[in-house]
Amino acid sequence: MMTLRKQEKYWGAIRQFFYNFFPYGSVGTITVCPYCGTGCQIVINEYGSSQHIIGYSLSPVNEGKLCIKGYSGLSYNFSKERLIKPMIREGDSFRNADWNEALNYSASRMREIISKYGPDSVAFQSSAKCTNEENYLMQKIARMAGTNNIDHCARSCHSPTALGLINTIGAGAATGSIGSLEDTRTFFIIGTNTTEQHPIIGAKILRERKKGKNLIVADPRKIQLSTSANVFLQFKPGSDIALLNSIMFVILKNNWQDNDFINSRTQGFEEFRKEIEKYPPEVTEEITGVNPSLVEEAAMMIAKERPAAIFYAMGITQHIHGTENVMDVSNLALITGNIGVRGSGIFPLRGQNNVQGSSDMGALSEFYPGYVRYDSDNVKKFEELWGKKMPRNRGLTLSEMFDAAADGKIKAIYLMGENPLITEASVSKVEEGINNLELFIVQDIFLTLTAAKAHVVFPAASSLEKEGTFTNTERRIQKISPIYKPPGEAKPDWWILKEFGKMLLGMEDYSSPEMIFDEIRKVIYNYSGASYDNIFPIGKQWPINKDFPEGTEIMHSKSFPIGRGKLIPVPFGYPAERADDDYRFIMTTGRNYYHWHSGTMTRRTDILERESPEPYVEINNDDAMMLKVRNGQVITLESRHGSIKIKARITDKIPSGIVFVPFHFVEARVNELVGENYDPISKIPEFKVVAVKVIP
Amino acid sequence: MAKLFKSISEEYDTYGTISEQGEIVFGQVRGFKDIVDGRSKYAPKEFLISRNENILYLPKIEKKAVFGIRSCDLKGFYIMDRQIYGKDPFYTARRDNTLFINFVCREPCEGGFCSSFGGPVLEEYQIQVIPDGGKYLVMVSEEFEKYMKDFKVVENNEIEKFRKDFDNKMEKLPVEGIENRIKWNSKLWKEYASICISCGACNFSCPTCYCFDLYDREDERLREWDSCILAGFTSSSAGNNRPELDERLRQRFYHKYVYYKKSKDVYLCTGCNRCTEDCPVDIDIKEVITHDYSKE
Repeated sequence: MMTLRKQEKYWGAIRQFFYNFFPYGSVGTITVCPYCGTGCQIVINEYGSSQHIIGYSLSPVNEGKLCIKGYSGLSYNFSKERLIKPMIREGDSFRNADWNEALNYSASRMREIISKYGPDSVAFQSSAKCTNEENYLMQKIARMAGTNNIDHCARSCHSPTALGLINTIGAGAATGSIGSLEDTRTFFIIGTNTTEQHPIIGAKILRERKKGKNLIVADPRKIQLSTSANVFLQFKPGSDIALLNSIMFVILKNNWQDNDFINSRTQGFEEFRKEIEKYPPEVTEEITGVNPSLVEEAAMMIAKERPAAIFYAMGITQHIHGTENVMDVSNLALITGNIGVRGSGIFPLRGQNNVQGSSDMGALSEFYPGYVRYDSDNVKKFEELWGKKMPRNRGLTLSEMFDAAADGKIKAIYLMGENPLITEASVSKVEEGINNLELFIVQDIFLTLTAAKAHVVFPAASSLEKEGTFTNTERRIQKISPIYKPPGEAKPDWWILKEFGKMLLGMEDYSSPEMIFDEIRKVIYNYSGASYDNIFPIGKQWPINKDFPEGTEIMHSKSFPIGRGKLIPVPFGYPAERADDDYRFIMTTGRNYYHWHSGTMTRRTDILERESPEPYVEINNDDAMMLKVRNGQVITLESRHGSIKIKARITDKIPSGIVFVPFHFVEARVNELVGENYDPISKIPEFKVVAVKVIP
Repeated sequence: MAKLFKSISEEYDTYGTISEQGEIVFGQVRGFKDIVDGRSKYAPKEFLISRNENILYLPKIEKKAVFGIRSCDLKGFYIMDRQIYGKDPFYTARRDNTLFINFVCREPCEGGFCSSFGGPVLEEYQIQVIPDGGKYLVMVSEEFEKYMKDFKVVENNEIEKFRKDFDNKMEKLPVEGIENRIKWNSKLWKEYASICISCGACNFSCPTCYCFDLYDREDERLREWDSCILAGFTSSSAGNNRPELDERLRQRFYHKYVYYKKSKDVYLCTGCNRCTEDCPVDIDIKEVITHDYSKE
């Protein structure tokens, strides 16, 4: 898989050392795949000069299976472009520095800025690619410094999930487990291209489908799962609420709802019902483009063929109605009683390997660890533990931070493991913000487009080179272990953060990630029963505490953390942008199977890059014929906010009037086209609906 | 066995099956008692073909002895020998310096069909071991007889009996003539393509798959295990000549059961069932053999 010629295998060396004394020493290391939120466990086994990567058979998550990113996606780790020394900006370029100087320089510059402009002039951007321990540390530094300006990429993917589900059922997390899907009778997939984005979960669904289970797929694109579906609802981008409300209309009209569950476990039904009455499928057909008989069929399966499990991802969240979409998914689960029972539930599929964990850790501007709101009385708990008065104002979200920087209100940003110059909406505005900063600290494993703009760059260890925990999409807290030595002077993120915290704030020293985890257990009740020992090797699902010492596979089986689940009427509203005579196409964005986000890792992984080497736009055959565009022809995509040149890929997988562009590619940053349209509740940008014109 | 192990370990670095958090993998072992008797989770191809290596220089090749490789996995090397031994210098050097001591399974594994391809007692081997309740029946090829000087020689009808017993326990598939029965336009290929997630597990797990990708990185020319299921595999400037997934899946099965048979007179399959075990969507290679193509 990868060359280790120039990478000293220190973990191997340590193992060898122990092996000499204890002949039963270990050779394989179990860790967690660094890509998606599924959190597949991999065993990297080495002997002599060679290596084998396999899925861990005993893992309840992946049962020994992996996708191509697990098998062939790890060679970025050995790229010669890895950052190996701390660097400080000097004019247009960088000079190497030692750790002491780089940390000292950053901490003292930040201290100056805080004392000159106040703590809310600095902001921290954490990362769902980093461990729980690291996310916890970063938010702690921010709050100890006196600001709630801490946020991370969950803002752009699952902030509507946290807010929506906490509102309706009291916990922003998947309600069941991947293993429990064996009991599912109906799978409802909406807004997730599961076989490409969470391949091992997608495969699990396909295996269950083969056994005769029902599969309903709702997606604007003809995704792979749709070919195996009993019912395929190919709806128009942004019409999720109209579709979901129609499904519920049919359920209520036929009296298929679970009245016992509604009466004993929920509140607000009568008012909710009034809203739903406005959505007969015959009326919404014009909005969704879906034939009413298909809506009827889907409704019947979800309500009658239970348990039903609902899966969603960015197709639901990345809208100006993202939070409402999530709440409507929750409504559907609640009125059909599809929650709290094995095989049923709501499954928000997490993008990054640790989105669940980084959100749990409170790397969000409105939440302290354990989802304690910034304005709640419970913030006192942190003041007592950390021995300092904590900020009680709402902090800035990811996109607001860059806007505030452009306006001169934010003077310093410390960013860890993210590449917003590719991934954020309206990247030109992000660039403007970054250019306006007095101090920009970036911590990463590569010199990304964003890192290249930094004043200070900290070289970080990859997840194959450090210890810690990740929490996957089913709330499973899993241990990761170092397999390789970090290159050069690169250090694990937790080490960099705690050194920075010591210098900036005189924070305590942590000697290991385990010490940080022990603090997390004290702070977050749902993690309190987990320890490095008891979560190894296969992990445990939170809540794990006094009440649930072995963790919790199925949540909400008896009651919701907020008592009764809330049914919240969600009226349909159009997306911010609609096609018109000038901008005749709707563009939707997303990932493809081979690449990961801004491509920092996958584009340096040769087999993955070979599979998908350049940006492209998917366009429907009929549209292409009408526009006289040939396959592979470079066209211009223009929105109201910007334009890019990009190769056309003609396909029947996408319906007429819609185009799809993956956002991985620096050569054609699709986010130049995405406007500043935000969900007012979660502030997630609307990545999924952008009006564009196609210019051949 | 301990004695045999010891005399081999004087000449070779010794490796064997060991248990790692309940997973049977290969690792260095110091004594015969370190070896776990069980089928490893994977075919240990990387003893001969590195997952990823620089091919500009032939590294120093150590002499290794591998205990506990299962017959199905070992047979893969004998099959790929016909294609790459003597041609691929890395493979050849490692093949010449690696001694495999294969353990024969006493009981059929779930889903395995090695008896359809002549397993589990192999005709070609270096040292072949049939564990027999604390005792071991050991078959040794001429080259390695020197290790067996002090042992008792038994009549080989015990092995015949073992073969017969095993055949009674494992059903044989109608492999014979599959190269003529299989159909180019079978519906199977499209059916598989509708669920295949292109993970490459079938290739990576296969003891007979030897294809690799080549690429340059700075001063290195690297080769890495590749998968013929991927669209970029063997693609040229005009793209892949099998642009659709069903064509690539078909190619994999045709290579195994048609092309290799016709050019090398052996099927490129040992009946290990690993591709099926590791397939996330349960595509079962046995179906390719047993499917009734005459009805299509």
